[in-house]
This record gives sequence, C-alpha cells and structure tokens, in this order.
Amino acid sequence: MQTPTLIELEHLVKRFGDKVAVDDVSLEVRAGEILGFLGPNGAGKTTTIRMLVGLLQPTSGTVRVAGHDVQAQPLKAKAACGYVPDEPNLYAKLTGRELLRLVGDLYGLERAQAERRAEELLRLFDLSAAADDTFDSYSHGMRQKTALAAALVHDPRVLVLDEPTVGLDPKSARLIKDILRQMAERGAAVFLSTHILEIAEHMCDRIGIIDHGRLIAAGTMDELRALGEGERSLEDIFLALTGGAEYAEIAQVLR
Amino acid sequence: MSEAAVTLGFWPAVARLLRLQALILFNGLRRASWRGRLGAVALAFLTLLIVAFVFAMGLALLSFLRSPQLAAALPGASELLASVPVLVMGGSFLVILITSFGVLLQALYLSGDMDFLLSAPIPVRAVFVSKLLQAILPNLGLVSLGALPLLFGLGVSGGYSGLYYPLVIVMLAALALAAAAMASLLVMAAVRVFPARHVAEVLGFAGALVSIVCSQSGQFARGAGVNRQQVAGLLRLVTSLDVSWSPLAWAGRGLVGIGEGRWLAGVGFSLLALGTAGLAFGLALVGAERLYYSGWAAMQGAARRKKAARAARRRAGLPLAAAGGRLLPPAVGAIVAKDWAVLRRDLRNLSQLVTPLVLGIVYTLMLVRAGAIPTDGGHGPAWATQALQGAMGYAGIGISLFVGWTLLARLAAMGFSQEGKSYWLLKAAPVSAGQLLAAKFLAAYLPSLAVSAVFVAIMALVGRGDPAPTAAWFSFAVVALCLAAADGIYLWFGVTGARFDWQDPRQMVSGATGCLGALVTGLALGLALALFAMPQIGLTLLGWPALAGELAGLVVGGAFCLACAVVPLRLVRERVPRLGEG
Repeated sequence: MQTPTLIELEHLVKRFGDKVAVDDVSLEVRAGEILGFLGPNGAGKTTTIRMLVGLLQPTSGTVRVAGHDVQAQPLKAKAACGYVPDEPNLYAKLTGRELLRLVGDLYGLERAQAERRAEELLRLFDLSAAADDTFDSYSHGMRQKTALAAALVHDPRVLVLDEPTVGLDPKSARLIKDILRQMAERGAAVFLSTHILEIAEHMCDRIGIIDHGRLIAAGTMDELRALGEGERSLEDIFLALTGGAEYAEIAQVLR
Repeated sequence: MSEAAVTLGFWPAVARLLRLQALILFNGLRRASWRGRLGAVALAFLTLLIVAFVFAMGLALLSFLRSPQLAAALPGASELLASVPVLVMGGSFLVILITSFGVLLQALYLSGDMDFLLSAPIPVRAVFVSKLLQAILPNLGLVSLGALPLLFGLGVSGGYSGLYYPLVIVMLAALALAAAAMASLLVMAAVRVFPARHVAEVLGFAGALVSIVCSQSGQFARGAGVNRQQVAGLLRLVTSLDVSWSPLAWAGRGLVGIGEGRWLAGVGFSLLALGTAGLAFGLALVGAERLYYSGWAAMQGAARRKKAARAARRRAGLPLAAAGGRLLPPAVGAIVAKDWAVLRRDLRNLSQLVTPLVLGIVYTLMLVRAGAIPTDGGHGPAWATQALQGAMGYAGIGISLFVGWTLLARLAAMGFSQEGKSYWLLKAAPVSAGQLLAAKFLAAYLPSLAVSAVFVAIMALVGRGDPAPTAAWFSFAVVALCLAAADGIYLWFGVTGARFDWQDPRQMVSGATGCLGALVTGLALGLALALFAMPQIGLTLLGWPALAGELAGLVVGGAFCLACAVVPLRLVRERVPRLGEG
C-alpha cells in the first residue's frame, strides 16, 4: 500500500515586484519521510517554507498539506501542520508554559490534554525549570526549543522546520534529530531546511536543493550522486550544483 | 598572516567611533522618505523658531526684572536675577543626568554593540567616552535650546562682558559631561539590582506618567489666583538654591562674576566649578568602565527573591483564559487572555494605557469642582432645568466615553501591530480571520467598557449626571454602544495600518493611522451621541415621557453604533489573512 503524500508543492511561484524569489518549484513529501531542503543564502528556502505553512500567499501554484489546499482550506491545512521558524520570535512577556497552553487552545486541544502535552514537552526539552519565566529571559537556544515544543503540542502530521538546529547545543541538536526521526517513524512528513549538510545527509530520506528560486535537484542521496560528476559527499554535490567558484576565491583572499 | 591590524590610540578611536555614529545617523537621513526629510527640515525650522522665541521671551522677562519699578515692588528681584544662572545650570545638570540615564542604559546594555566594540582592538575608555558623548549630545542639544537663549538673554539684558558667552557654552558642556558620567554609574548600580530591560520598562512607564501628570497639572492650576506672598515664596525657593557649597552654584556665580566684570570671584568660581565637573567626570568614567568591564552590574541579586513568587502566580496560567474559555471559542478566549497578559506585563505598554485613566480622573475632578446641578428647578423655567440636566447627563457620558475611547485608541488601533514579530504564531495557527477579529475586538472592548462603566458609576454617585433613576443605565448603554462603534472603526485602522517590524511599542502605529483613527472615531462618536440625543429632545418637546425618548435614542443611536462596529470589520475581513506579508 502506497503511503499518502502529506506535502505537495505544485509549480509554486513567488514574485516580490520584479524579483522572482521562488520559481516553479514542485515537490512532494510522503508520510514517514524527512525531506531536507537545502540552498545557498537567499536561494528561496524560507520563502518556500512560508508559503507552505500559509504565512505567504504564492503568486501562482498550489500548496497542499495533508490533502488540503493551503489557499482554499487554510484552517484544515494549518491544523495538520507544525512550524518552527528560522527566528524563534515569541511573545517576550509570555512564559514557556503559557505559550504552550496558548498553542493548545489555538489548535483546539482540550484544556486537560493541552496541559498534559505542555508538561511532557517542557520536560522533554529540559525547559521545566524555566517554564514560568517570560521569554525575554530565555537564551536563543531555549527559545528555539520552545518554538519546537510549540510546533509539537498538537502532534501534527506535517512538521515544517526552518533551520531548527541553529544556536542549539549538541545535546539539544541531537534531541531534535531524534524527535524528527521518531515523528517520521510514526507517519509524519517532515520538511526540514538546514545549512548543516551533515544533518541532511544522515537524517533525510530525500533532499531538495534550491538555487536562485529554482529547484535544481531533488531525490535520495544515491539519486543526487548520480546527478553529479563522481562527488561522494553531499557537500561536494551541493557545491557542484550551486556553484563553488566563490569558495576558491575566499581561500585566495584568506591565504 | 598579515600584520596590518594596529591598535588605535585613545583620541583616534573616539573619533572613529563618533564618525561611525554620524555615519549611521546620516544613512538614516539619506534613506528616509521625502516625507521624513521634509519633516526633518520642518523640525529644524521649528527648533530655530523656539530658540528665537525663548531668547526674546527671556530677554523681555529679564529686562522687566531689572526695571526699578519692579525692584521697588518686589525686593527679592535682584537676588532672583543673580540666581538665574544657578537655576539654569542646576536644571540643565539634572535634566541631563536623568535623560542620560535612559540613553546610557540603552547604549551600554540594550543596544547589543558593546560586545563587538569591547572585543575590537580599541581602548575601553574610548568606547565609554564615545558612548557618553552619544548619550550627551542629543540631550545637551535639547537642554541648550532652552538654557542658552535664556542665559544669553540674561547677558544681553545685563550688559555682560563678551567672555560670558563662550564661558556659558563651556560650563554647560562640562556639567553635561559630569552628569552623563554620573548617570553611567547610576546605570551600573540599577542594573546590578534589576535586569536592564526591566529598568528600561520602568523608566518608560515613569517617564510617561510624569509627562502626563505634568501636562495635566496645569488644568488644576488654571484659574487659581496667585497672590504676592506666593510670588515671594517662589522667589525665596529659587534663591535658596544658590548655596555656597554647591558646585552648581559655583558655576552660576562664576558666570555672573565674569559677566559683571568681577574677575577674581568670576574666575575663581568658574575654575572651581570646571575643576569639580572634570573631577566628577574622570572619577565616574573610570569607575563606570571598570565596573562594566568586570561584569559588576551583570550579577543581579535582589530580583531573584521575587522571581519564585512571580513564577508561582504565572504557573496558575492566564486566569481569564479559563474564564473566557467557557464563554468564547477557545482560540478567541486564548488570544484575548494572551493580549491582556502581554499588555499587563510590559510596562512600556502600561505607560500608554495609563494616559486615559489620568485624563479621566483629571476631567472628572474638574467636573466635580465645577459645582452641583440644581435639581429643584432653581429660579429658571422647568424646560431650562430639564435641558441643563440632560446636558449634564451627556457631560457625564462624554467623560466616561472619552476615557474608554482613549483606551480603545491604544488597544484597538494597535491590536494587530502589538503582535510584532510573534505574529507568525497566530498566522500559522488554524484561526480564522473572523475569530482573530473577534478576539482583537473583545481584547480592546472589554477593558475600555469596564473603565468607562466605572466612570459612569462615579458620575452617577457624585451627581454629575442626569438625576433620573434610569439615567445611569441609559448612560451605560450609550457608552457601551459608542465604544463598540469606536472599536470597529479603530480595528479597521489597526488592520489597514498594521506593522509588525517594530522594536519598541511606541513604533507600533504610524502617526497618520493614529491621527486618522482618532479623527474618524471622534466624528463617528459625535454623530452617534447626536443620534442618541435627538429623539430624546424631540419626544420631550412633544410631551412624551423621558423613558420613551431614551428608548428611541437607544434604537436610533444604537443602530448607527452597531453598523459602525460591524461594517468596518466586514470590510477588512478579507485583508486579515494577508497581514504580515508586506
């Protein structure tokens, strides 16, 4: 039996004035799959993700999450989705516990269920001691972990993460990797944007590479290797596909 | 590795840091819109006008104080004149000390560039001096707008020597440096006890409170007679500041001595004042930079004790969320509770919210002081008394409504903008535009209604309203409906003018949105009150009972208010899902 497709991007385009940020991107992520979304700075990763979670209206194309069109049925699509942004901007004057309860209410969880889930996640992310402190006293890593906890409160079928490991200590980064793997094993689709190629190579079932708004490669590691000219590591493949000339130039300047 | 990096000396480092600040300022101006640039030119022109006005007024006043007639009528006038420089110098010192505190708190702890600057190969002292100058220059500029014309006016009116004028500038600058250095020490002390961000919030709240109280205190003073004894008392108070042990008094006495050609006293006092200012600046600067560098202020102690109690309160959750959850959809109740919690906990927001309360209290007291309404008909015809009672009833409604309306201006117009960069959380959640609008409507409406209801009750209790038994209920209904109308209109402006990229809550709403919102809601409320009142007046003139007039007013005015509450929200409903995509 074929696993259902939980994320579908079809000919997705986003223009900001004359600039084309995302240019005809089509992708699918099935249940139980982790997709690593890679690209140089300014390639269109975050714009794609923001359209995927309903934060940005596409210029054209469609996004479906758990079978629901994000534009036509936004509430159903959003209810199925958990999102961790690249910048964990959270209400400075709310506490960690209050934020998780708020998210529980926003996603329609029963009060008791939301409370129980919040406590579990606070414990899991080692945030219990700071749970009643407001976010303005949190470190970047603590905010990042709270944002991830908030994305997991309603146990989403689709998890979208934009650079989730930035600013995290190795223990927390490992915890996030374990959670993502467990989510996928339980049948969730994970869409993960990252600059850490090691994470993408070892964690993701498939990888999509975007450059100048266009999806230039997508597939498993083996499929990507077949695209290149004998490169073995994801780093080499990535640099070969996105153009590594500037790196030689940097080395020249630093020499 | 290259050996190109060299360590800068003290003055070159200060010069480069100041040039960096100038560059940031210049870039800001260069990238400003045409409207912003025109505003800057208008501000510069206005500043020159203010300087000219203060100079002319100061000159006229000081010449008047030197007139022989006044000296005969008011024996303390000559002492007052001699005390003017002391007063101006002392005032300038205090103003710079207080304002530098806030600026230095921002510059040293909240701007985020100190780590970068302290890790650069430049002297720590250069960083501190540049930060102090950064804190002083705008404040000194503002203080000089008032102080310099006044002191120059004193010089012109007294025919002072030419040396007086440059010395005024040197003395002001020296005192400003000393004040700023002392302010940096105070910042260190405050931040040792409380977190810097919290100190900034308290400072913002205190500043707003002081400014609103000062601006409104004139309302009480208006009309109060000032007699000769009071003037003499004021003069004694001013001259008492000129005490021989105060360095601020030395500065003033030195200026007057130099101005009047009493060279020995003038030079002596001036050197004493400048030396003391230099010593205070040096000691405070050295102390502050050492304390900062050793991380002295980063170890908060006292704040920890209160933390546990606060945490216990917060653990109980947002109580209104639970209460609201039973009456409202969970998402709506949760957003309302979240908004109230965030508003309550951020003192910078609270400083904006306290304004309507202060205004309401001031105007209520003024109305109470104005005298009682004659309920027995007095000596006039019955219809005139009835009309007066009706008018007073609407005065009570007006004040209650004004308080709620001012509160709404903050809560509704900024309802969406206050989400700031956290708006992604609501936007990514399965919350419909209707639910979001309902939550924002209620988050603004309920507190405004509660405050207005308190004022309606106060008006009824102190007898400022219409004395008819149904009047309080009628007043409450009118206020409730009018506030709903204002809420709907303000939310329309709040959605269309929403901005989420602010750093400080004061940047939430653009001036145009705020002004237009106040104008449109003000017009709508005026029309609504007319619609409430007209059926009452008409039916009263036709001989109908008052209750019939009130009911008719409620139907006509209420229909208009409900339309104002609902129609703007319907109009912006389609816009809400696209907010934050600009």
